[in-house]
Amino acid sequence: MLRIEGLSAGYSAKPVLNDVSINVGAGQFVAIVGPNGAGKTTLFKTISGIVKPSGGAIMFDGVDLLAVPPPQRAHLGIAHVPEGRQVFPSLTVMENLEMGAMTESGRRDWQSNIERIFEWLPVLKERRDQFAGTMSGGQQQMLAIGRGLASSPKLLMLDEPSMGLAPSTADFIFERLIDIRRQSGLTMLLVEQRVAEALESADHGYVLEAGHVVLEGNNDTLRADDRVRKAYLGM
Amino acid sequence: MEGFFQALAAGLLIGAVYGLMCVGLGLIFGVMRVINFAHGDFMMLGMYAAFYLFTAVGVQALFGNTVGPFVAILLAGPVLAVFGYFVHLALISRVSGTRTASLEGEGHYAQLILTLGVALILQNGGLIVFGSVLASIRTPLSSSAWELGPFFEMSIFLNMARSIDMIVSLAIMILLSLLITRTRIGKSLRAAADNPTAATYMGIDVDRAHRTAFALGCGITAIAGGLLATNYPFHPFVGLEYVIVMYAGVVLGGMGSIIGAFWGGMTIGLVQQMSTLILPTQLQNAAIFAVFLLIIFFRPRGFFGRMVERT
Repeated sequence: MLRIEGLSAGYSAKPVLNDVSINVGAGQFVAIVGPNGAGKTTLFKTISGIVKPSGGAIMFDGVDLLAVPPPQRAHLGIAHVPEGRQVFPSLTVMENLEMGAMTESGRRDWQSNIERIFEWLPVLKERRDQFAGTMSGGQQQMLAIGRGLASSPKLLMLDEPSMGLAPSTADFIFERLIDIRRQSGLTMLLVEQRVAEALESADHGYVLEAGHVVLEGNNDTLRADDRVRKAYLGM
Repeated sequence: MEGFFQALAAGLLIGAVYGLMCVGLGLIFGVMRVINFAHGDFMMLGMYAAFYLFTAVGVQALFGNTVGPFVAILLAGPVLAVFGYFVHLALISRVSGTRTASLEGEGHYAQLILTLGVALILQNGGLIVFGSVLASIRTPLSSSAWELGPFFEMSIFLNMARSIDMIVSLAIMILLSLLITRTRIGKSLRAAADNPTAATYMGIDVDRAHRTAFALGCGITAIAGGLLATNYPFHPFVGLEYVIVMYAGVVLGGMGSIIGAFWGGMTIGLVQQMSTLILPTQLQNAAIFAVFLLIIFFRPRGFFGRMVERT
């Protein structure tokens, strides 16, 4: 569904991503793990068009994504749940979800989507008329995920959904993501620093370090790898 | 006592129009974060647009002297909205929005210079095209009044033109609030204002949202300008007199709050009219700024400053 080939990108002359190739098949749950500054967020921003790549190609569903203007990419079926949540603070929870549903498919499926989102993340239903900016970090993260789901995406990209959250809240969000995936079969691409959890739930993983993919494989391969065990799993 | 209520009424009437004028600027600032120095001059163009629509394009012949001016004023709104749309497309979009989002200062320096340049061109261009003679959109209503009362042996006189100005302002204000709070376009404008990057992730074209806001802001201020012109004569440099009031109103209301800008403008209208009770008219504007400073001293965010900062 998403094929990234030889992608290089950066903010100035020094590239943050170097010849990165990543494949996400339809229905797959792919995790990208790696330390701070490895280029994980830059990778997502390049997919969404906020960062312009200096080389390589991104194909999504048979479309050359780099030829599509950034605001149009959501309409192709890519939902980006950004790092640090980035909900719309002066909009209510409901309005944030409506913004997620700006896409054609989101508008079409609004009624059924909203029911499912409220079922998965009931706190959003309770707080539907609250301003998003007044919610806690965990609630905002759930809203950001709900907002992504409201677009009826083909691919849900999650950038560090556990960032800055209490461990118990992060666990809860992880469980929800796994439920959502099991019930919807949605294709997901996850970037995470909580390596153990990410690899456990994903079908396939990539390790990104200093802009390079240094390792890839299914979760057994990765978890059996000595470097991953030492550096990320603390074993 | 009668003087007090008379000034209060006059303040409310003019305040509503000032409010509308401030809302136009507040919308642009709130959504785009662009400091538009030329906004007073867009208003000046709105006044002339209403003037020429009334006198030269046949609105006067069609609707007569009483209704005609207001028809022309309402038509000036769309005219200036289209003008604003193209000014944004050709100029403002080059120094704002996604093009400058990654620059230091988000392109604010270029915006200041550009809008100041546009202001100078509009003022001097206006002088060439319209001449320096004072113009006005007088209606028979400008010099007649309704008498309220007498209550307790007091009567308050409401200038008819200004009363209609207020009604038009409030009507537009209500329509705008509905647009901003209820419609998909309005919500996407607010989303683009809150967080342009996240808005892009949602599939909102932020530059197009900015263009919509700029066009709307110009149209609204143009109508406010036309309404003011029913009572105050104008000239090509009139924008300078109002742009300061507009900014004061926007700051009073709370930067970024569109509804707040209306109350900011209303406050200024009230202060301006009430000050005549105790101060000579030459000090009207000084009184505005004294009160302005006082309010900002006690409430630096303005009336409706964002309760949550933009992320």
